[in-house]
Amino acid sequence: MSRFCKRAGLILMFVAPIAYSQQNEQSNLEDEALLSDEIIFDDNLFDSVFDEQPNNGPDSWLEGFTFSVSQQFYGQVNNHSVEPLPGFSFPREAEMENNRLGINIRYQNGFAPGWLIQASGQTRTYWKHDYEHEANNKNIDAEYRINEFFLQRSFDQHSIKFGRQTVVWGETVGNSVLDVINHFEFRDLTIIDIEDARLNQWMVVWDYFGEGSNWSSFINLYPEFNPASVRGSPFFFEPEFNLTDYKRDGEALAEVGTQWRKSFDRSDISFMAAYLYENQLRYEDPVSGIGDAVAKKNDFLLLGFSANRAIGRLLLNFDLAFSHNVLADSFNFPGTTALSSPLDLKKDQIGTSFGFEWAVDNEQSLSLGIQAQKMLDEDEGLLPGQQLFNQGVFGSWLVRYSNILLNSDLTLSSTLQGDLNGDSLLALLGVNYTINDNWAVDAQIISINATSDSPLVFFDEDLRVGMTITYSY
Amino acid sequence: MIATNLRLLIVSIFLGACFSSVFAQDLTGFDIMKLVDDAQRQSNDSSFNRMQLSSCKFGVTNGRITCADRPRVKSLESVAKNYGPELKDTKSVTVTLEPAAERGIGMLSYTYDETDRDNETWLYLSALGRVKRLASGDSDEETEPASLFGSEFTTEDTETGKLEEYTFNILEETTTAGREVWKVEMIPNEERAKKTRYSRQVHYVDKERHVVLRSEMYDQYEKEVKRLMASRVELVNDIWMSRSLTMMNLVTNRLSNMAFVEIYTDLDIEDEFLSQRTLTDAAYRETELEKLRAQLN
Repeated sequence: MSRFCKRAGLILMFVAPIAYSQQNEQSNLEDEALLSDEIIFDDNLFDSVFDEQPNNGPDSWLEGFTFSVSQQFYGQVNNHSVEPLPGFSFPREAEMENNRLGINIRYQNGFAPGWLIQASGQTRTYWKHDYEHEANNKNIDAEYRINEFFLQRSFDQHSIKFGRQTVVWGETVGNSVLDVINHFEFRDLTIIDIEDARLNQWMVVWDYFGEGSNWSSFINLYPEFNPASVRGSPFFFEPEFNLTDYKRDGEALAEVGTQWRKSFDRSDISFMAAYLYENQLRYEDPVSGIGDAVAKKNDFLLLGFSANRAIGRLLLNFDLAFSHNVLADSFNFPGTTALSSPLDLKKDQIGTSFGFEWAVDNEQSLSLGIQAQKMLDEDEGLLPGQQLFNQGVFGSWLVRYSNILLNSDLTLSSTLQGDLNGDSLLALLGVNYTINDNWAVDAQIISINATSDSPLVFFDEDLRVGMTITYSY
Repeated sequence: MIATNLRLLIVSIFLGACFSSVFAQDLTGFDIMKLVDDAQRQSNDSSFNRMQLSSCKFGVTNGRITCADRPRVKSLESVAKNYGPELKDTKSVTVTLEPAAERGIGMLSYTYDETDRDNETWLYLSALGRVKRLASGDSDEETEPASLFGSEFTTEDTETGKLEEYTFNILEETTTAGREVWKVEMIPNEERAKKTRYSRQVHYVDKERHVVLRSEMYDQYEKEVKRLMASRVELVNDIWMSRSLTMMNLVTNRLSNMAFVEIYTDLDIEDEFLSQRTLTDAAYRETELEKLRAQLN
C-alpha cells in the first residue's frame, strides 16, 4: 500500500465521526395513543427530590470524595514489519499491551472559611499480558501515585496554594509552546493528550485577583524531570547505558514564574516570565564508559505572551515564547545524538503556537493547533559538518473534532496529529458512551504512519484498538 | 449562558405575579406574556438556586406516564445577578454537584441584552487545569437552541423576552389540572421563525396565579413535538412559580424533570463572585457559597 493511500486511510478515519453526524437523524418514535389526554401525567413522578431536607449547613467531610474504577484493554492489532533503515526490518506482531485495573480517588474539602484541601491519587494493577506484567517477570504488579495534594488559603484578593499541583500556561489546546511548567509522562500510546500526561509538582502558587486583571505566580520547590520510559512499554528501547533520574546530590533546585492576565470583551491576554529547568534531561555517556548514563539538567529563562479572540463561534488562540539558553540537543540519548559529539551548547529559541476552535454548532466542535519553534543562530558553536537535531523550523500540528450526540451520552471524537515536516501522522478515533450516572465506556482506535526520518518510525503501520470501562461514584 | 437561561426558565414558563384576577380579565395574550417577562427580571436578580435535573425514557404503566429506565440525575447550584441600566444583562455561575464524574465543573456566563454584543462564557475543567473561554458566545439572536445539560430542555424553552417577535392569540378559556386557564397561542414572526424549532406554542396559563401549567410545542408540520407539564405551584418569595417542570419529547419518548429544590432571590451577592475567580479558586467559592447559605437560614 502506498504511503499516500495509508495517509488517506488515516484521514478517512478522522472524518468518520463527521460522516456519522450527517446521517444521525433521529427517528420519530411518537405513539399517538401514548400521549392522549386519557393518559395521566403523574405530578408526583419526581417529587421525592423535595422530600429531602435542604442542607444549608456544612457538608460532611466524606462528601468530598469521588472515586472511579476503570478496567482498560489495549493492544496493537496489525501484524506487519517495520523497516527503520533500508535493509533492516523487524516484525511487529499483534499483541495486548494494556490490561490493567485503575482506581482514581479525588478529594476536595473546604474545611473552614477560606481553607480548602484537595488531593487525588491513583492505583494501577497490571494483569496478565499487560506490558508492565511482562516486565515484572510475568507477575501481577501494582503501582500507586499521588497526583494532586495541596492546601489552599484564600483571603481578600489573594489565594495561596501549597502542595503538589499543576500550572498551565498558554491558550493553544494540546500543543502550546508555553505549557512547559510541569513535566510530562507519555508512558504509552493510551496517553495522547497532554492533559493526561501532565504530572504534578511541589509548588507554592500565589494568585492575586485584582480589579481588572489577575496575577498568578509560582515557586517550584522541587523541579522534576520527564521520567525515562518504563521497561516494557511501547516507547521503551534498550539503551546502551541505564537512563536514571537526575542525581541532585543535595543540590537545591527551584523554578519561579509569574503571569499577568487580563480579560477584555471577547478576548483574554497574558504576559509571563519564568526561570525554569528543561523538563527533558539530556543524557551523556558515563565518563568511565560503564554504569549509568549521566543525566544533565539545564536551566533557562522563558518570556511569553498569549491571547485569544472570540469571533462568534470562532475562538482564535495565539502563544509566543522566547526561551533563553535552552540546550541545542536536549533530545540526546546515548547512541542517538544527532551531533557527532555531545556538546553543552546553549541557544536561544523562539516559538509560537496558534490555532482556532470552532463551535460548528451546539454539538460539534473543530480545533486546530500548530506549534512551530526555531533555534536562533543555529550554526554558532557547531563544528564543521555538525547539525542540530532540530535544524530549521520544527514543530507539530494537531486537529481535533468532537461531536456530542444522544443528549450528551455519546461523544465521537477524532484527532489527527503530525509533525511539520510531514514525517509522521497519528490518527485517533474515539467513542465515549455514558451508560448511566455511574458507568461509562470509552473505545479508541489509533493508527500511526511514519517515515524513517521520524522517531515514530518504530510504530509505522501500527494499529491500536482499546477499550476502557469506568465506574464512577 | 446556560445558567442564565436556567434562571430565565424559572419565570419565563411558569411564574406568575400577584396581580388581581379582575385586572387580568382584560389582558390580551401579549399582555399576559409581558407580565411574565417583567416578573422574570424581578425574580432573576440576585438569586441562588439548587436544581435537580432528571432524565429518562418514558412509557405508560397502568395508564400513567412513568420512567422506563432509571433516570439520569444531575444536581446543580446556580448564582445569578442582573446588571446594566435596566438590569437586562446577567452574570451567572453554575457548578455541577452530581454526578460524581462531573463534580466541580463550573461555568461562568455573561449575557448581554445588546444585540451587537456577544455573550461570553468561560468553563473550568480540573483536567484542563485552567479557565477556558468557549467559542460559543454568539448573542441569543444568533444562537441555535441548545440542550441544557443534556436534558430535553433547550435554551429556547427557557426564553421569554423578545415578545415583539411573536403574535399571541387567546384560543379559549378552559380548565387543566383542576385550574381555570387561558390557552394562549404564541406564533413566531418571519424573522423569529428562522431561529426557532417550533412553528407555534400553546401555553395554559393559570388565570389566578398566572403560572403556565402546561405547554405544547409544535413543529412546522403541525405535529406536537414537545409537551411541558408543571406542578408543585407554590408561592416562593412572593412569586407564584412551579418548582417542578417536566418536558416530554414526543419524538424521542424521553422526558426531563427540572426540580427547583431551593430558590432564593434578593440575596446580597458580591460582584466579585461572578468572576473567573469563582471557577478557579475553590476555597473562595466555597467560602462565598457558605455566606449565601447563611443568608438563607
